[in-house]
Formats: sequence, C-alpha cells, structure tokens
Amino acid sequence: MTIPYISAQELTKKFAGRSALDGIDAEVRPGDVVGLLGANGAGKTTLLEVLLGLSPPSTGSARLFGSAAIAADTATKTRIGFVPQADELISGIRGGEYLDLIATFYPGWNRELAQRLVTEWGIEPSKRISNYSLGQRQKLSIVSALAHQPDLLILDEPVASLDPIARRQFLQQIVELTADERRAVVFSSHIVSDVERLANIIWILKAGKLLWKGDLDALKESVVRVHVPTAVAGIARMALRRVVVERTSSSHTTFVALREPDEDWSTLAEKAGANARIESLGLEDIFLELHS
Amino acid sequence: MFILNPQSGTPIYRQLIDQVRRMVASGQLAAGAELPSVRELALEHAVNPMTISKAYSLLEAEGVLERQRGKPMAVAAQARAQAPRTDRLEQLDGQLDHLVLSARQLELSQEDLIRAIRKKWSQDK
Repeated sequence: MTIPYISAQELTKKFAGRSALDGIDAEVRPGDVVGLLGANGAGKTTLLEVLLGLSPPSTGSARLFGSAAIAADTATKTRIGFVPQADELISGIRGGEYLDLIATFYPGWNRELAQRLVTEWGIEPSKRISNYSLGQRQKLSIVSALAHQPDLLILDEPVASLDPIARRQFLQQIVELTADERRAVVFSSHIVSDVERLANIIWILKAGKLLWKGDLDALKESVVRVHVPTAVAGIARMALRRVVVERTSSSHTTFVALREPDEDWSTLAEKAGANARIESLGLEDIFLELHS
Repeated sequence: MFILNPQSGTPIYRQLIDQVRRMVASGQLAAGAELPSVRELALEHAVNPMTISKAYSLLEAEGVLERQRGKPMAVAAQARAQAPRTDRLEQLDGQLDHLVLSARQLELSQEDLIRAIRKKWSQDK
C-alpha cells in the first residue's frame, strides 16, 4: 500500500469556538483528481489550508506524504503546487521576473513548459504584475504552480476570473498533467461542469462536514430523482430504500434517493409504480438537491 | 468521433462504452479499426484520462476492443461475430424500459405498443 499524498483523520478546525471543519476523514492517492464542491462558507478554503499545513487542525490529524502537514519540510513542499484563491504574486515586478524568481525555489522547474504556457495563455512577461488584469494574474499564478511539475497540485477556485477559452486551456493542461498517474490534483470550483469533466473523485462539503466523498461515476449511478403523483407516493416511498430528499405538493411528490448497487432501472421503475418517472442527475443537480 | 456530455446523469465512461458498442455492432467501426488514444480523447473533450481508460478497459474485458502492443486500441477481430443476438438486444434495454414505462403511463396496452413498433419498423425499412 503506497502512502497517501494527503490523509486527514477526524480533522476539526475551530475559529473562536465556532466549528469550521468537523470530523473530516479523507485521503488523496496518486492518480486521484479530487473536485471539492461546497457553497460559499462551507469551509473549502479552510479545508485546503489545513490539508496543506498552512494552518494547524484544532483536533485530529492532517498528513502530507506521510508526515504531519504543519511540519512539512522543504523537500515535501517542493512536491506541491498551490494556487490560492487570492493570488500571492509580487505586484512590483514583471511577470517574467516573477516566474524566474519562483523557478529558483524548485529544482524540478520546467523552463520549457513555463515558456510554452506563457505564450499559449497570452501572458505578457515584460509587463508589470501591477498592470495585469485579474485573469492574467490568475493565469500567472497557475503557471507558477504548474511549471515545477508537482506531484500534488492544489487549486482553490483557480478559474473564477478566466474566460471560457482560458478555462478550456487550463482544463487541458490539467488533463496533460494527470495523464501521469503518479500525480494527484485537488481543486475547488463553483463551476460544476469543470469539476464534472476533470474530477474522478468528488468531495461535497456542507457546513464543515463532508457530505459525500467518493467516485463521481458511482455518485451519478446511485442518485435517482423520482416523480410520482402524491396520491400514490406511498408505493414509491416503500420502493426507494434510501430517500435523501422528499418534496410534496398536493398533486405531485418528488423523491431524491440513492439506488442500491443491485437495482437496475427496470426493477426500480417496476417497484416505484407505473406512474413514476425516474431520472438520473448531473453533478450540478445532485449538488443542489443535497443542499435543498 | 464520439459525443460525450460530461453534464449528463450518465457517467462519461458509460456514454463512451455504449457508443463504441453500438458502432461496432452496426459495423461503423470495423474489426481492426483503431480508436483514438486515451490522451487524444481526454484532451479533445477535456475530461479525466482515467475515465477514458476505464471505458477502454471494460470494452477490452468484454472482447469488443483489443490492446495492441505499442499501438492504439483497436476493434477486436472477433467483435462482430462475438456479439450474439442476446447481447445486442441487451443494448436496447434502457430504451425499452422508457418505452414500456411511457406506454403504461399513457394507459396503452401491450398490443397497442407492439402494433406501433411493427408499423414503425415497416415504415423505416
């Protein structure tokens, strides 16, 4: 069994007595691409910071490559690339100078890759960072985290300021990176369709708790939404073994339920009654239903 | 060459498996035809490479695709012959479920539905 890149056990974080993270158990292994979803204030940034060792857990443990995250040594840190939500660029210097500076910290810096991304993404290396647009700052911040080809890449809302073209280029770069299965990526985003493309594992954080962690495919295959006339809702309720959400009006009832692995569509449809309409859900709908 | 919709409730690897199976069964993909590499397809659709390799591996296990040393995946030589009628019929399962369900909701009889299918079948021939 290889050592997980990230491992959190019974991790909690409190700010002034208020619980920000509560009982987080999670692991990230080589090859994983984890998409972290959560509403504003759910604790996504706090979770990423604690996992990275930028802030200590209140109780429980956060480990990076097998050692306590908060005490990570330089060798461990050079294996990580981090794109924080608010970039930490140095505004007084030029973009190219900034990359040259960052390059000195990392023995594995890939000059060619950095150069290629700067050109492809339209970053102006001779311009002062203080004159960059928000999108350009974000691109530069991403390049500085990607170019040393980290084993573990962590991105907090990396594409919020990027246009659709830049976002697609970014996604393709992550695809390139993850084609090497020794690498792992954890990224948070409100753009659910990006998460849906890239992630094979989904973490859904709600009020500091991990509501779901696991395979995206398994999540999609297990969640069903069933619509039935309220008059016969009882039959459907009995047929659905794990109802997560139930909404009733006088005419119509909607259930969101988890399908058992042994149930296929036809057996479920049969049990839910002739009037039931059953649908599978995309990630955005699943996310919304878990928050309704 | 494939239509993949990441936002669908059907996982991407499932969509890919269904399309390859259908294209092989219909002869659109002939025995020996090479498929795009995992990297190519992942980049084109901007999706996780593992979801593509998962689909390819499952298709290989089914005998639809063959892994060739140092070359892209290809449609297995026996794929067409290996797909017996029951397997091909199974691929209509999902659509049949929906069809039967809709017919029931419309309070149509089994005979109504079969008659309608017969009519369609001879129209399209």
